[in-house]
Amino acid sequence: MTSNLVSPLRCLTSNDDDRSGSLKLRDLSLATRSGVRGVHASQWLKSESLPHELQPNTIEALPDHRLLMALSTREFWLLDPDNPSGDTEPTFERTKPGVWPLYNQNSHAWLVLSGEPRADMLAKLCGVDLRSKAFPLGTVAQTQMALVSTIIAHHLWRGEPVFSLFIDQSLTDFAWEALQDAMAEFNTTR
Amino acid sequence: MKIMQCPLNGPRNISEFVYGGQVEPMPDPQQCSDKDWASYVFYDNNAIGIVREWWQHAPSSYWFIAERHNASDDILRTYDPGELFSERVDFTTGENEP
Amino acid sequence: MSPSRLEHPFGQLIDRDTPVTFEFEGETVQGYAGDNVASALIGEGRWLMSRSFKYHRPRGPLSLAGHDANTLIQTPTAANRLAEDLMAKDQGTLSGQNYLGSLKFDYYSLLDRLGRFLPVGFYYRAFFKPRGMWRFWENVIRNAAGLGVANLEATPRYTDKQYLFCDVAVIGAGPAGLNAALTAATGGAEVLLVDEQELLGGALTYHRFTLEDDSRAQTLKALSNAVANHDKIRVLTGATCNAWFSDHYLPVFQGDRLYKVRAKTCVLATGSSEQPVVFRNNDLPGIVLCSGLERLMMHHGVCPEGPAVILAGNDDAYLTAITAAEAGLSIAGVVDLRSEPDDLALPAALSELGITLYQSATVYEAHSDKSGAQLGAVTIYPIESEGKVGVTPTHLECRLLAMSAGFMPAYQLACHGGAKLAYHDDKSEFTLTELPEGMHLAGSVNSTHDLKAVCADGRNAGRGALRALALETDNDETVQCERHVNHPWPIFKHPKGREFVDFDEDLQIKDIINSARLGYRDIQLVKRYSTVGMGPSQGRHSALTTARLIADATERTVTETGVTTARPPVKPESLGVLAGRRFHPIKKTPMDQRHLALGAHMIPAGSWRRPAFYGALDHRAANIAAEAHAVRNGVGMIDVSTLGGIELRGPDAAEFMNRIYTYGFLKQPVGKTRYAALANEQGVIIDDGVAARLAEDHFYVTATTTGVDRVYSEMLRWNAQWRLDLDIAQVTSAYSAVNVAGPFSRDVLEQAGCNIELSSESFPYLACREGMVAGIPARLMRVGFVGELGFELHVPSLMAQTLWDKLMVAGEPFNIKPFGVETQRLLRLEKGHIIIGQDTDGMSHPGEVGLAWAINRKKAFFVGRRSVDILMSQPLKRQLVGFTLSPSAPKPEEGHLVLRDGDIVGTVTSCEYSPTLAKVIGLAYVHPDDAQPDSEVTIRTADGVCVQAPIATLPFYDPGNARQQL
Repeated sequence: MTSNLVSPLRCLTSNDDDRSGSLKLRDLSLATRSGVRGVHASQWLKSESLPHELQPNTIEALPDHRLLMALSTREFWLLDPDNPSGDTEPTFERTKPGVWPLYNQNSHAWLVLSGEPRADMLAKLCGVDLRSKAFPLGTVAQTQMALVSTIIAHHLWRGEPVFSLFIDQSLTDFAWEALQDAMAEFNTTR
Repeated sequence: MKIMQCPLNGPRNISEFVYGGQVEPMPDPQQCSDKDWASYVFYDNNAIGIVREWWQHAPSSYWFIAERHNASDDILRTYDPGELFSERVDFTTGENEP
Repeated sequence: MSPSRLEHPFGQLIDRDTPVTFEFEGETVQGYAGDNVASALIGEGRWLMSRSFKYHRPRGPLSLAGHDANTLIQTPTAANRLAEDLMAKDQGTLSGQNYLGSLKFDYYSLLDRLGRFLPVGFYYRAFFKPRGMWRFWENVIRNAAGLGVANLEATPRYTDKQYLFCDVAVIGAGPAGLNAALTAATGGAEVLLVDEQELLGGALTYHRFTLEDDSRAQTLKALSNAVANHDKIRVLTGATCNAWFSDHYLPVFQGDRLYKVRAKTCVLATGSSEQPVVFRNNDLPGIVLCSGLERLMMHHGVCPEGPAVILAGNDDAYLTAITAAEAGLSIAGVVDLRSEPDDLALPAALSELGITLYQSATVYEAHSDKSGAQLGAVTIYPIESEGKVGVTPTHLECRLLAMSAGFMPAYQLACHGGAKLAYHDDKSEFTLTELPEGMHLAGSVNSTHDLKAVCADGRNAGRGALRALALETDNDETVQCERHVNHPWPIFKHPKGREFVDFDEDLQIKDIINSARLGYRDIQLVKRYSTVGMGPSQGRHSALTTARLIADATERTVTETGVTTARPPVKPESLGVLAGRRFHPIKKTPMDQRHLALGAHMIPAGSWRRPAFYGALDHRAANIAAEAHAVRNGVGMIDVSTLGGIELRGPDAAEFMNRIYTYGFLKQPVGKTRYAALANEQGVIIDDGVAARLAEDHFYVTATTTGVDRVYSEMLRWNAQWRLDLDIAQVTSAYSAVNVAGPFSRDVLEQAGCNIELSSESFPYLACREGMVAGIPARLMRVGFVGELGFELHVPSLMAQTLWDKLMVAGEPFNIKPFGVETQRLLRLEKGHIIIGQDTDGMSHPGEVGLAWAINRKKAFFVGRRSVDILMSQPLKRQLVGFTLSPSAPKPEEGHLVLRDGDIVGTVTSCEYSPTLAKVIGLAYVHPDDAQPDSEVTIRTADGVCVQAPIATLPFYDPGNARQQL
């Protein structure tokens, strides 16, 4: 059966994908993500045997390679970068009081930026100091990138430190183009 | 550019924030005079001193309260609105609808 | 042949093996890599670079540092560039600007002779009377006073911006800045060091601080090596910090990039500006500041043609004379404004070099050579008293005059931060006080001038920065500097004038004094009246003289007089770099590619782009008519993903809805939708949408495309106060939607495959359902915005494009036609549905726009309730009604006025030709007395043509609303 899912990234040209250089940007918008919010969200995490004492704006890798990201004391995102999303909506119980499923699978595009000068490059688009000293692995910033609200998470993926960027899906093309433009000076061979 | 301390997200450029007006208790909308209501809706106390204001961190949609000196523009303290508003608010008169 | 230059150690910046050429005013100029345009021109003996702003006097460089406006030239792509800022190797064809004829023969220079008819404030006083004459004179004056020419054909450069984070920003890499940077970095701080010049070292690179000049070269080498090799110091050279903003936010311009530096603390080691002596014709090309001459020799190896006269207000000028003499420049004399130098060894050193010294004397007048555009001689007079000279002149032939009347701290950045300037009469010097928190000064900006003191002051500033960062450091060194570098009154008024105080604006002593005489005592008013300090050099060379002159003229102290407020930018900056890359975020729906493939004419709608209609713009009316016809008679589909969406979930969801929206929601049945209008606290309708109750504790509400962010924010804020038990989520992007509308819409959904019973009995008008359509989970609502049977389908955004494709296929047998937002606006207008924000404004209360039915006044509270009560208890002032016109009448446009007895009573808010009804229909605010269906109103259309429009009953189409309920 063919999937009904289409990534919000539409401006991708074939050579964007395999452009070589010190920085690499990938589209993970079709990977699985879900989340919960509400006054009892952390209790729900506990009941699911997930870490439940995460500080706001931190991200932690789970033993099964999923990632758990806390945006506040009552909002948590579960990210599964290596697992493509199914066609159905998230499988949380819908009416558990104080634990509301999030719509982040569809609301946000997921781009992953890797490469050593990633903080330097993002300094062209974002006013938060993202150098590892100020923004170490495991931290999250809810901020603006090229005037667009973005959640930036610093974590390991396939053994490599990366920034996950979560952007309103309707702005995926804009953000992708702004990032490619900012990356160009780092990816030219000299 | 000024930096503001967001209680949730830490210090950020002021451009990430949206001003939401002064924190002002609403008079009882059923009982107060037209004049008191108009004063609540339209007038701000513009005296020099420390003001208590609503601010929102736009990327996270998080509202908080800032205490700021409106002459020096020093931001003295920012905190979650739960500090001021801890009790559920109810409006109780004349419940009746189709 | 390449021009000859001085040998090493002169010419540190140039590469003698790489000659370069460029064109200036049609002639080829030769220089070396490392030269700037000004140094290359002077290397060839050419001092004339520009014409002055007002009198078109010939001008050449003053500071040789890009700190004055005398070197503004024109490049092929940009006007008003400073010759010192342009590297000779990068140039093609350059020219002067602001002349009629050529730079050498400027016909406008006649204005100089008319100067006495152009007193200060002349423009204000002469050309504004009689009233209206300014329009005529403005053209004439602007042509004569124009600066460069903007090249409208030039390809824009790629400019951008980047944040740069550091612990300590050190601005200025002179001896103070280098020491501050090293101390801070060694103490553990991350340092950014910024300097305008390409070379580190500031004055150390060109100025000998002592007669012996024994340790300077070593100090420079040691400091710059240590800085270059320190891994905690990042250096930006050729970079200008143009402002200080709150919390140490510093815009630093380097080439085509603007660095937005965010430091935790900063050290300003910005140095000081050398000051000119004010005497007649002190603006002739060939008259420079001492530091300018030193830069020419030491940086570029240029030894200008002599003989030279040195005009000294301090000991430093003697040192300049000695350096110049050592370079081989013939010195006709050193003229000291003082009776003797502080260092009594200096006169002996001069006489050893065979240089004549004139003490207690001044250059009183400069004379041009035969060309009229170059210094040829000076007249020297003994000084009798402050500003007054004796009677015995000495005439000296010279091609060059270097002068130093003292130094003014480069106070701009400190003053941006709120620092104040105080004048010290004992040293005739301004110093900076009241620095903002976390700002440290070092070096000559901090009024230390002796090299040892400057270095120690730099280290102390570095320590101050470390303390501000709560890092450990040792105790401050004692900094003592007894040197006097400023002459108290280097100002010599001449009966024939032309003693320039402000070179940019062509202001002479009398212009400043006359401003005070005319009553402008305050320095800020003097500036605005005379324009002193308004030019590109921003008072660098005029503020001190102006303060002294005004203090004297108004009998106040110089501190009381002060200088005008320093505001960013410090140096002229390019608008292109300020703009950087332009970010215009445009939201696209998941169906965006499909719309483009279908030939949609896309328009902006809020922050989105949407199809206005499909097909070519020049067939707009026909395309819209065809789309409308399809919806009315067959089936159409519109992408409404831009609709705002908000989810309210929790036990208090209904209670919250009831408080936010004007209508009642507590008893809304599950599976039904209700119209939801939102008022603000002033009682004005600000948004609307449809509220679907999906479960007892679950509402899904739509909001307008442009209003949803505000609605969502306000909801969050209200609940931050009310503390109701619910979750509020903005799902605009999570859900995308289409509206399938028209008599065959039900058939299309059935064709696509739908697990919901769609008959009007089980899924009536205004109901909502959840189910699967074409294999995709969907929320369905029966809505009537366009007035036909219709279903709005809201689906997860990742599946929306697939849904669109499947519905287009399923709709094929029914000739489904996509329609755009302009068609939708026409269709809703036919139904008389208002659009909030188009048919309402910042004053529209529910009673005015026919929404009184959507107000529940029995419930306890809703936002804006009290204001709505007050507004609706008053007589209506205007009312939104429908009107019709024949297609042959002039068609009103949105915004056209509604008149009543000649007075404006309202405006047209919507107006379209309806192909279905074959007439023009519209909505307008009218006087309440004219709001009845048998009335007529007057609408003033384009070109003032008035039409009489009969009022119509709404809706225009299908008055019984039968079609949407099918």
